[in-house]
Parts: sequence; C-alpha cells; structure tokens
Amino acid sequence: MKTGKKKTPRVSKNNTKISKVNIKVTETTPSRAKSKPTPPRIFIVGESPMVEQYAELCTAHGYDVFISWNEKLARKPEFKSDRIKITNVIPSNTSLVMELTNINTLAKKKNMERFDKELAETAPMLSSSITVTATEQSSWISGKHRLVGIAALPALIQKPCVEIAPTIYSPKETLEVVKRFFQSIGKEIEIVQDRIGMVLPRILCRIINEAAFAITEDIASPQDIDTALKLGVNFPFGPFEWVEQIGLKQVYAVLSALQADLQEERYRVSPLLKQMALTREY
Amino acid sequence: MFKQLGIVGTGALGTGIAQLAVLSKIDVQLYDVNDTLLRRSTVRINANLRKMVNLGTLTTEELQAAMERIRTRTSLPDLGNCEFIIESVIEDIRVKKDIFKHLDASTKSTAILASTTSSLSITSIGAYTRNPERIAGVHFFHPIETSALVEVVKGYNTNNETIEKIIAFVTLLGKIPIVVKDTPGFIANRVSQPLFGEALRLLGENVANAEQIDRIVKKIGGFPAGPFELMDQMGIDAMLAEAQSLFEQSFYEPRLRPHTILRQMVDSGWLGKKTGKGFFSYEENNSK
Repeated sequence: MKTGKKKTPRVSKNNTKISKVNIKVTETTPSRAKSKPTPPRIFIVGESPMVEQYAELCTAHGYDVFISWNEKLARKPEFKSDRIKITNVIPSNTSLVMELTNINTLAKKKNMERFDKELAETAPMLSSSITVTATEQSSWISGKHRLVGIAALPALIQKPCVEIAPTIYSPKETLEVVKRFFQSIGKEIEIVQDRIGMVLPRILCRIINEAAFAITEDIASPQDIDTALKLGVNFPFGPFEWVEQIGLKQVYAVLSALQADLQEERYRVSPLLKQMALTREY
Repeated sequence: MFKQLGIVGTGALGTGIAQLAVLSKIDVQLYDVNDTLLRRSTVRINANLRKMVNLGTLTTEELQAAMERIRTRTSLPDLGNCEFIIESVIEDIRVKKDIFKHLDASTKSTAILASTTSSLSITSIGAYTRNPERIAGVHFFHPIETSALVEVVKGYNTNNETIEKIIAFVTLLGKIPIVVKDTPGFIANRVSQPLFGEALRLLGENVANAEQIDRIVKKIGGFPAGPFELMDQMGIDAMLAEAQSLFEQSFYEPRLRPHTILRQMVDSGWLGKKTGKGFFSYEENNSK
C-alpha cells in the first residue's frame, strides 16, 4: 500500500472540513531497486496486555511495531519477535497508530492529542472506544477523519474478528484502509454504532456484573457459577474465567462507563466487583 | 440410594428423568393424570432405548430390564412408598403447591420431595408441607439426555441431609450437581440473562442488527450460538415468560427487566422456529 497525497480539503455533510486523502499504509520506501522493502510501521500505546497482544499479532503478519505503555510495567515482557521495539518516540513514516486505553481516560486523551500533533495526516488512528466513544475522542483532535473506534479488550484480541465503530467524520476511504489493515492481520471487521461498550464487551461485562451480584448474595461459589454457565447454558467460559482473561479493572471500566453513559439502575456496578477492581487484580 | 423413585408428570423432562433413572437401575413409579399420557411416555422411553440398542450402547436385555423398572400410576397416593419423588409439571405455583400438599399427606415424613421448577421458589412450595426440610429443587437443563448440569436448589428450610441425598442421586444419573440458594433464576438462568437482555437492548438501540450481534457473539465471544438464534430456538414466548417470572420474583430488579421487543413479538405471533418466524425467518427453504 502506498502513501497518498494530500488534496484540497472538502467540507463534509456536517460542515466539517475533512481531507479526502488516499490514506494507505506505507509499504516501501523510495530506495534502490535491489534493497528489501521496509515493512510498514505501527505504533501502539495503551494498557497491558492489549499492547503486547496486538504487537505480537502485527509482527506475526509482517509489521514493524513500536510500543509504549501509559504506565511502567512491573516486569518487562518478553516478545517472540525482535521486530517489537519499546519506545516512547513515534517513528517517522508510522503508517498507523493504535490507542488501547480503556481505564485511564486522561492518559487516553494525552495519547490522542499527541498523535494528532505528531502523526502524518495520512496515518489512520485506531482507538479503543468501549469506555469513551470515538465521537467523544474526535472532539479532542483536529484530524477527526483519521479516527475509527475499535472494541479492544484483553481476551478478544486473538479472535478472528473485531468490532469497529466509525464516527460521522470517518470517510469511507478511512474505513477501507482500516478494513485492509485488519484483513492483513487475519481479522474480519464488524461495523457497529459508536456506543460505549459496543456489542460484545457490553454483553460480557453485564454477565460478569450479574455473576458478581450472585456472589454477593451467596447464591453459589465462583467455581460453581462458572460450571453452571458452561454446562447449563453452553457458555464457552464462565464469568469468572472471563474475568481472569479480561482483568477486573477493565471490566469495571466498561461497566462504569456504561452506567455513566446510560444512567440507568440496570447498569449499577456490583459493589463487590468495584471493591475488587479498586484493590487488586482478580 | 433410593429404591423407589416417584416421578410426577410425563412431559419431556419427567420422561427424560424416568429414562435416566431406569438406566441407572432405579425403580420408577411414573405418575400422570391419565393412561394416555403415561403410555405416550413409556413408548417414548422405549423408542429412545431402542435407538441406544441400535447404536450398540445398550443391549436388548438391558432395554427390557429398564422398561420393567417402570410402573405407571394415575393416583398420587400410589407413590406413597417412594423415598424420593420428583415433581415435573407445568410452571404454575398453584398446581405445584397442590401436588406437594397431596404428596406431603401421602408419603413418609422421611421421603424427599423435589421440584424441577426453573423459576418458582422452592421455599414457597415447601411452605405448603409439614416438613419443608425435605423439600428441594432439582433443576435439569434441556436437552436432559446430553446436558450435564443439575442445579440442586436449597430452600430456606431444606436440610443438609436432603441436599446430600439429592447430590448422590444426581451423580448416579451421570450428571454434575451444583448446590444453589433458592433465589429467582437460581444461577444459570439468572447469570445468563444479560446475554439475551443486553442483546435485545443493543437491537432496540440500533447499535447492531440481530444477525450481526449473533455473529459477533459467536465469532469473537466463542459462543456456539448467538442470543437471537437461541431465543428463536427456545421460543420467544417461553423467553418472555421466563424473563417476566425472573423480573417479578426479584421484586422488579431493574437489571432483570425484560425488553418490550419480546412482548411485541409474542403479540405478533412471531415466536421463533416453531411458528416459522422470529428474529429470523424460517421459510420452507430454511433460510434465515
């Protein structure tokens, strides 16, 4: 895929200037004919383990990946690939960036603002939008046309499909690039509305929340609840097994965002879940 | 272990329990209101066991021995010698209370009486008996032949001895028992409710359509079936009834509120596969 040229901005239906750019991921550098093509570069920032999971996935499909985390990790992870570089510096010719923060909204905003300033106009931004909508994130940046929301949650990243949520500013060219990117890393896309929780994170976190209420009421043990859901209603995992995979803080972040967004008693977070999320990881 | 098991009701569940019991070498007293229903049940058991013989998982002698363990009854007092009786009639608290009252009067005080209810209060059923400590719930899942789980429901007055005996019985049938407190929906139905409830909300809020939600839940979530497929299979009227029961019994807990889409679909006669139309269409060419 080649770098496109910037054209004269046009005004969208919503009276917002957007650039009809041919946004593509750089595939080759202008170089001597006989040298090897440089793999496209991706910069990923956000929360562990999503950063590491996407990094491994992208390098397995031929990308050079540069990563950073919002917070210093207790232990530096070991990667299978040597094409993953840990750095806070966004490399030149970065083709695409991913912002994978669900818990710390302030950190997310800082990352997005930084991308907006430092990235080439042609580079798409994929940002997890299950706790802050992509539309709200668009209000933080000027290059709104580049942003597409995605449902990023640990445990879902290795799956063959990803939910994406374009905003009203996302032209079809951006979506086409995003689709091609995900196809290049072995994923299909499902385009859904830009809403907190999107589809699966919302469903899963509500199931986990209900299971937490059941524990509070002493109805059954966590192990029995997991067994009941798997054997009785054919869930692939029990709710507490999902918590192990996703992380309590991630679950709490999604539920809190749903409660704040929808403002219904239905989305009240289990006090037990809140306590556990705020004190330790599950 | 119990020498005589009584089963009240010959619907799919009652018949299934009887089949499992006779295969586990337990004598069964099978009760229903008339001989036609009883004959239908025993014919069904015989046909199912015949299939097992054809598959080589049962011998003809074992089939014969199993069928000989079934005695059919049309009078509840005839179950008086049973040490364990399982009630499996319609989900109507008045009907169940009536049956338990009669069983309470005609059985020994040491006999265990259990209900297969999926949504009614065991404590409430037990309140109509002299010895509520012997009343419990045995919630089997469909299809009973292949579903491994049984929720053993402990009412407020159920004693541990009753629970232990039921656990031993369920294990003998080859099922996995888990003990749950007597609360609306017990565990599996209650905790799984958000799969359907949130899916309906997502549909109602136009976040995605039914087909897409099912696809996402399957492809990304790893579920074997999507929530809308499942609702169509189970019957949207059954889903609504279960959701309403859960909501009412929890004294209208907002998390468990059913969605109006279910009511509208039931009112429109769109009940799922059984009517050819639900969230998806099941025309003659079986297209969605």
